[in-house]
Amino acid sequence: MKLINFNNHKFQISKEGILFWLDKQIAIIADLHLEKGSSFGPSGQFLPPYDSEETLKKILKTIKDHKIKKIILLGDTFHDKNAISRMSEKVNFLFRSLIEKYEVIFILGNHESKFEIGQINFLNEYVIDDIHFIHEALQTSVFQISGHFHPVATVKSNIKKITAKCLLHTNNHIILPSFGQYTGGLNITNPALKPFVNNESKIYMFTKKSIYKFTIKEIEI
Amino acid sequence: MSDILKIEPIDNWLKKNNWSFYNHQVETVKLSENGFDVLLVAPTGGGKTLAGFLPSLNDLINNKSEKNKLHTLYISPLKALTIDVHRNLTSPIEDQGLDIRVETRTGDTSAYKKNRQKILPPHMLMTTPESLALLLSNKESKDYFKDLKYLIIDEIHVLVNSKRGDLLSLNLSRIHSISPDCKRIGLSATVKNKETVLKFLTSKNKAKILNIKETSLPKIEILETKTRVPWSGHMASYAIKDIYQKIQKSSLTIVFVNTRAQAELVFNKLWQENDNNLRIAIHHGSLEKEIRRKVENLMSLGKIDCVVATSSLDLGIDWGGVDLVIQIGSPKGISRFLQRIGRSNHKFDEPSNAILVPSNRFEYLECLSAINSIQNKLLDETREKKGSLDVLAQHVLGVACSEPFQVDDLYNQVINAWPYRNLTKTKFLEVVEFVKNGGYSLKHYEQYSKIGLNKDKLYAINNKSVRNRYKLNVGTIVESYMLKVKLGNKTLGQVEEWFIEGLNEGDTFLFGGRVLEYQNISNNNVIVKSTSHTHPKIPSYAGGRLPLSTELSIEVRKLLSKKQFWKNFPNQINEWLKLQSKFSNLPSLNGLLVETFPRLMSGKKRFFLICYTFEGRNANQTLGFLISKKMLRIGYKPISFVATDYALAIWSINEVKDVNIVLNEDLMLDDLYEWLEETPLLKKNFRDAAIISGLIERSIPGQKKTGKQVLFNSDLIFNVLKKHEPKHLLLEVAREDSYRGLIDLDRLSEFLKRIEKNITHKKLNRISPLAVPLILEINRQTIDKSEMEEYFLEELENEMLSEVGLN
Repeated sequence: MKLINFNNHKFQISKEGILFWLDKQIAIIADLHLEKGSSFGPSGQFLPPYDSEETLKKILKTIKDHKIKKIILLGDTFHDKNAISRMSEKVNFLFRSLIEKYEVIFILGNHESKFEIGQINFLNEYVIDDIHFIHEALQTSVFQISGHFHPVATVKSNIKKITAKCLLHTNNHIILPSFGQYTGGLNITNPALKPFVNNESKIYMFTKKSIYKFTIKEIEI
Repeated sequence: MSDILKIEPIDNWLKKNNWSFYNHQVETVKLSENGFDVLLVAPTGGGKTLAGFLPSLNDLINNKSEKNKLHTLYISPLKALTIDVHRNLTSPIEDQGLDIRVETRTGDTSAYKKNRQKILPPHMLMTTPESLALLLSNKESKDYFKDLKYLIIDEIHVLVNSKRGDLLSLNLSRIHSISPDCKRIGLSATVKNKETVLKFLTSKNKAKILNIKETSLPKIEILETKTRVPWSGHMASYAIKDIYQKIQKSSLTIVFVNTRAQAELVFNKLWQENDNNLRIAIHHGSLEKEIRRKVENLMSLGKIDCVVATSSLDLGIDWGGVDLVIQIGSPKGISRFLQRIGRSNHKFDEPSNAILVPSNRFEYLECLSAINSIQNKLLDETREKKGSLDVLAQHVLGVACSEPFQVDDLYNQVINAWPYRNLTKTKFLEVVEFVKNGGYSLKHYEQYSKIGLNKDKLYAINNKSVRNRYKLNVGTIVESYMLKVKLGNKTLGQVEEWFIEGLNEGDTFLFGGRVLEYQNISNNNVIVKSTSHTHPKIPSYAGGRLPLSTELSIEVRKLLSKKQFWKNFPNQINEWLKLQSKFSNLPSLNGLLVETFPRLMSGKKRFFLICYTFEGRNANQTLGFLISKKMLRIGYKPISFVATDYALAIWSINEVKDVNIVLNEDLMLDDLYEWLEETPLLKKNFRDAAIISGLIERSIPGQKKTGKQVLFNSDLIFNVLKKHEPKHLLLEVAREDSYRGLIDLDRLSEFLKRIEKNITHKKLNRISPLAVPLILEINRQTIDKSEMEEYFLEELENEMLSEVGLN
């Protein structure tokens, strides 16, 4: 666990990539991309259809030790509009237990826009205490917690380069790593992320065992 | 001999050039006429290719064959070879005005030409295993191949124990089911197990091996230099002046090296010596095709004095004027060396000339052993390989693309292919299930199945797009992602993505003989500029680093164990070994010499354990991992190890007292399986298997992906699959490939059995002479890379924290 002070609120990052706002009993997770694996099925690529199960189990396991009431999913929860219909019975069960046990806020992601997905009510934005929860970060001065970019970062050792998923904290922005099992990443050196990376940036990298905090100086640009 | 052989036009053409038929050429025609499949084993330059084509030419000339039917199929592992053979064959055909159409078909053939070949087949088609697989997946393939009379497979020995060979073998079996009377002729270089190659060629009982013996042994020597052979290293820089002099005395020299990095360096050094302006060129697999063709062309025109080359010039093509082959570094295997030597004096009855240049002391022994082996006519064994299931999956889909199949029929066809002869029906059905919808116990993809039973209860593809996608994914070669190297508008060649990732802006490297400065990557191109730097950062990109072969290893141990052989060694080597025998022991022929001694390392006392196995780098590396694990468990606290082709050196904090416990076979194999599951090697093999089998496509149309992303994704899939379906077909393939490949498990267990109760442990108080090259070898392997990463990150973070005063 690492602590972040954000707009005078205390947040914690778990090594799995979930952001906790414990004072409010909230867990924040980005980009699950449920059923990404099976989305290649129609084109004849049969990837192991176990990614959603892994993703959901990991969420349930990570948050159960904290007193959580609410989960905010920052968008791209479903990989495509047919994701729910492709879910196996087991995944469906896991998904149901998640939304029955917790109050889940669904932010609308670009993978979900323009589609009706089940009975789910998607929000463009959700605000608590002046902190805005949105899918894609905006270049404004309001405090925002978002996902969308799947940020990864690279540090260089004398042995080799290590690239891993990361959480990016720059001034009024927190950008979460993608949580889904089959999700790839966009390096924070990518021009798309440039507006949200500067000398003030703190980068939290996730390895299997732990989280490591860096400033922009140690990161390969 | 022309009386026996009535192929007048060819005979006339030969006479015109003052040539005549060789015995084995006549013999091949006779055997083939009598219904035999023939494996022709001959050294290079023996008119082997013509021999392969004679039965077919004979039939085409003497028997009126139907027009516009494919009569003869020629398959070669190299595109370049199909083109070369096409040219050589066209010469007599055009000279004698024969009505025989000969064409090539490879990945480079235009769509227009391919289409025309479909409608109007040539008499003779020259192609590669991959293009053949594509041809056979066409709907009309049955019709296309039904009149095929002859099948010629060139350089068949290089295909036998590879996935490419698996694919070819399956397709040969398929052709057999379409045209059962088609006769086969295999052309092979000299190999040890000819019987295996014959069985790979044909399942017929009526089959014969024609073995043509070399009439003269090649002349091979080790380069004599005024400078001493260095203790370690791989670049042979010490010998450049002497090499240059040899090149000067010959008219056309090929300098063979083992890696692309060596090629660049040797080329660079030769030019630094080049006071007489010799025309020296470079040739390796990363260079742009046009550049390579240009060099080849200059060679055949005799407009060049020397070419520095990697295995890219190993096979096939006849260069005529080469009169000297120089091999830098040990050739690592006897057969490979013979193949390279054969590049010089490409004439049957004249000896070839070759010079070996060892790049370090152990290699000197290796080079000497290679010469002894060739003099004693020893050859490397080609290990047999079980047919891979990922290749079979690709083939099953290919068959379904061409026509609906019945499961039992296809099974019988598949087990007729030599590598798959022992495949069980259960395994085969598992592969079919995998092709259908991924083979998961969770029936998730039923609705999207690629193949399914049609109304006649035959398996067929479910829609046309399956065929189109299959065609984009044919083949068994999975290359690492390559980036184009661009100097201005000019493309110089390609390098692996990971090599460029290791460079920073302004770094310099050698490529295609130039020193280049790296600028940036744009649009998947590596942008470089010319620079005046003379000391570039050497490219260390991979290529052709083969381990020492088993046969050569035995020869090296023989040399070492018998002092009477030493008298011909140069003084420095002789003294080195004498000193070793006085100070410690010499490695014996069948046992294992283990040395232990203390030594300071970065100011701290460490204990070294050296095993002189001579089992090759791969097996030694695996052994290193296993012994380290064992040492860790016992509490010896191992730090790291170094593996070379000859030996293994491990250093630890505590002294290893009982060597026998550490080297116990049973105890070690338990660790092996556990260890393998965590290695990057298994992940890499999984990725390859996933691509070959069609689980992941090479490229999804309309979606731009870099190689890195594919790798990333396959790693994620690997982890999930391992957890949910640990016995999945593709994991099985990946494990098998790992055992066979870099880990060299077979060789390792043979070794462990051999040395059981035959270990000599020498406890020394300081480093031995034989251990010196090892200690100098800097190529260090860490015990556990992932652990290292954690340490490193921790350290970096701590450093940073103390910098800001928080630690």
